[in-house]
Amino acid sequence: MSGAGDNMIEAEGLARRFGHARAISAIDLRIARGEIFGLVGPDGAGKTTLLQLLAAILDPSEGNCRVLGFDTVRQASEVTSRIGYMAQGFTLYDHLTVAENLAFAGKVRAVPQAVYAARSERILAMAALTPFLHRREGTLSGGMRKKLALCTNLIHQPPLLLLDEPGLGVDPLSRRELWRMLEDFRHEGATIVFATSYMDEAEMCDHVAFLDHGSITAQGSPDELRARAQGAVFQVETDNPVAVENVLSEAPEMLGSQWRPTDVRFVVEPAKGLSNELRKQLEQLGRVEPATPSMEDVFVVLRKGVRTEVPTGIAEVARLAASKGHREPAESVETRRLTRRFGDFVAVDDVSFEVNPGEIFGLLGPNGAGKTTLIRMLCGLLPPSNGTARVVGIDIASQPRRLRQRIGYMSQRFSLYHDLTVHENLAFFASAYGIKRRPAREAIAWASAVTGLHGLADEAVSGLSGAVRQRLALACGILHRPAVLFLDEPTSGVDPQARSRFWRLVNTLAAAGTAVLVTTHYLEEAAYCHRLGLMYEGRLIAAGDLAALRAGLPQDGLETIEDVFLAYIERERTQAVRPIGEAR
Amino acid sequence: MKFTRIAAIVEKETTEIVRDPITVVVALLMPLLMLFLFGYAISLDVDNVPIGVFDQDRSPDSRALVDRFIQSGYFQLAQDFTDNRDVEKGLQRGTVKLALVIPPKFQNTLARDGTAPVQVLVDGTYSATANLVAAYAAAIVSDFHSEASPSVHVDARVWYNPALRSVTFVIPGLFGVILMAFPPLLTALAITREKESGSIQQIFASPLTPAEFLTGKLVPYGLIAFVQIVMVIAVGFLWFDVPLRGSIGLLLLVGLVYVFCTVGIGLLVSTVTKSQLVAMLLALIVTLMPSFLFSGFLFPISTMPYVLQLYTRLFPVQYFVDFSRGVVLKGAGLPELWPSVLLLFAYTAIIFALAAWRFRKKVA
Repeated sequence: MSGAGDNMIEAEGLARRFGHARAISAIDLRIARGEIFGLVGPDGAGKTTLLQLLAAILDPSEGNCRVLGFDTVRQASEVTSRIGYMAQGFTLYDHLTVAENLAFAGKVRAVPQAVYAARSERILAMAALTPFLHRREGTLSGGMRKKLALCTNLIHQPPLLLLDEPGLGVDPLSRRELWRMLEDFRHEGATIVFATSYMDEAEMCDHVAFLDHGSITAQGSPDELRARAQGAVFQVETDNPVAVENVLSEAPEMLGSQWRPTDVRFVVEPAKGLSNELRKQLEQLGRVEPATPSMEDVFVVLRKGVRTEVPTGIAEVARLAASKGHREPAESVETRRLTRRFGDFVAVDDVSFEVNPGEIFGLLGPNGAGKTTLIRMLCGLLPPSNGTARVVGIDIASQPRRLRQRIGYMSQRFSLYHDLTVHENLAFFASAYGIKRRPAREAIAWASAVTGLHGLADEAVSGLSGAVRQRLALACGILHRPAVLFLDEPTSGVDPQARSRFWRLVNTLAAAGTAVLVTTHYLEEAAYCHRLGLMYEGRLIAAGDLAALRAGLPQDGLETIEDVFLAYIERERTQAVRPIGEAR
Repeated sequence: MKFTRIAAIVEKETTEIVRDPITVVVALLMPLLMLFLFGYAISLDVDNVPIGVFDQDRSPDSRALVDRFIQSGYFQLAQDFTDNRDVEKGLQRGTVKLALVIPPKFQNTLARDGTAPVQVLVDGTYSATANLVAAYAAAIVSDFHSEASPSVHVDARVWYNPALRSVTFVIPGLFGVILMAFPPLLTALAITREKESGSIQQIFASPLTPAEFLTGKLVPYGLIAFVQIVMVIAVGFLWFDVPLRGSIGLLLLVGLVYVFCTVGIGLLVSTVTKSQLVAMLLALIVTLMPSFLFSGFLFPISTMPYVLQLYTRLFPVQYFVDFSRGVVLKGAGLPELWPSVLLLFAYTAIIFALAAWRFRKKVA
């Protein structure tokens, strides 16, 4: 590493344009040897572009950058032949096995045979992939694919590892293992730079840079950054979150709020603090106390320019409630021993539970646990192999067409038409639901109002950010005012602020009587759900609210939902005999 | 260029191809399918053409003339007309492609003058066959006459394809067209697939050089294409009975150069496109279409306007079609055909230089 000093990366005035659009501008960076450096920012902030510039697979429009002492433009091949770079998504060869993918990486990096043998054994053991050596990459779960991708980048022991959202779409268990691998690797002296939208990952860094609209808005250690939000974060314990929201939406100092079942957490401008007036108003509704800032709150403070709007749709939602009438059965969703097999593989195994009107039921579980299959069955998209289920009183197997008129479904991929505008997408889905022209116009206006899409009607979807697409997908799913809403990973890959806003929307819909069944990877989002179901290897291993779930375990001191979740999986793994009666 | 790295790409690519049965099926069956379809379907031969006869003489001589038509093997009696209007209807409906009208007193006139007029009406909607049908009919009639009154006799000989079988002419040309149609298509998908899945980014952020990567991609697809050429040539000779007058070794050797050229075109296409769909369309436009229209495979280049003739020179397929026909039908060798071979070599080299120059290890 010729003359790099102690800095692995030195960038000055780095900028990149795509056509007229500036992806990033004026970035100055110094990343020291042995550091874990996190690039945090909302969707479209330029994280990927910056990492690609650092990896020397993209040339800057302005400025220069030295990585490991080499110029990323003139000496690009020196950079690329040394570093490890893990792109976003799944970028291995799905037709090749685990062993073949790793061997390919080893040969390309010219790792000597003997070294390769020892090193690959160790890395694969670390990733817990040894039992799957001869499985094709495409058949692995998302978490395993990510771990393998990391392995292929560790095989040549690069001094610098660049990771683009390594935790995206990966279940918490695999995410923990991924981080354990990175920690080990770091102890061997490597430098790690990664982009993330997970705030808990940001906590693990030595150094964090906040990226917004292509520029770095703040840099520092997590502690330094948290200090910026000190005294600006509060929570109100209340049983009337709607009223709290309304009060907060009037307050000028408010930056953002997070609405959870029993409390509302909010962030005010640190310079102004919480005014007495606002405190008084809030105290009439519940108990107000200061809260410890998290990186997520720092994120809100740093993005103060983009104040989250409080949804305007609450009044509209009331209309939804009125229009629905009173013909709902007691249970919105009710499954009895629901099972789905694909050949020998049991994707959903003997699952029974129910969801009541107005309830948000969260399905949590690692990749491949069967969540998506379960939702697809309940939407009438996939017939069950065994067992029955009724949604709004309609049998899913015998009347799938009638069923689809009464439910809304939003899939992981948002299923929108990218070349159409927002309005055209909405109009298409309205006609697909068989809504007549005039009611369709009202439905579109209503759904756009609820999801806050005003002024975007003529924008092409391809130009929208992930967060707006997500709201549009929701709008498309609620056009026909469904009694039950199925959301499959609705917040995957969306930044925290947009996520909290999205959840507030879901909450308003639920408050108006819609039953919501949602799956998520973000365990902290479990806090928004009234009840939770934990899925593991196709089975529902536990269900209930958070308190009930905690009570179901012998251990104490399980603070977060993540701990509870992992404890259940641990128990499931160690128990030879399958537990009965866990799932209601 | 590091051999071990190229070998790694070759191995990886080969495994991927083998694991994807659809690719293998498409690669091996499609050329055969095309060979059989075109081998049987493209026939410029005149065979069993339905004709109608309006014999107003009904004499032994007129019947003899009709028999000449039928016995030639080219024509088949489909209808006997009794009225002029029927003749018109028959041609209109297409039940007959040719109508032979023999006037009254045909035999008498023939006996008296040594010659007698007959009318031959040909359906000219499809001009290529119409020409042939008319020519054959004229030949039969004039033959009939000349026997009746012998005079100068022309004895024409056709060389290289004495039976004038279309298939003998079509198949050697088809070698060039098939090898231009499928190998580039497969190869064009090979790199764009990696662009779509994102795996190309891992290639960019690695020590692999563009030349190593492209060579590694080229070898397996080149080999598949070579298997295709052997298969197509074997079926052409064994099934369609195309005579091979020249050297099979030379044909295969130049064929190998040609397939590397076509695979190279696929690579070039994939360096300039981002999605598999676009790559496929572009590959079809630059390979399949010109190879049908501008290769001399079906439509002779010499009859095209001069500017278009220059344009056809842009596509390598005609050099191989010329070469292949020369070797297969005329038994020619390098002394006669070296210009085509040289052009193929040059073309291949240029394609590769372009592809390596276009392929940059950058995401944008």
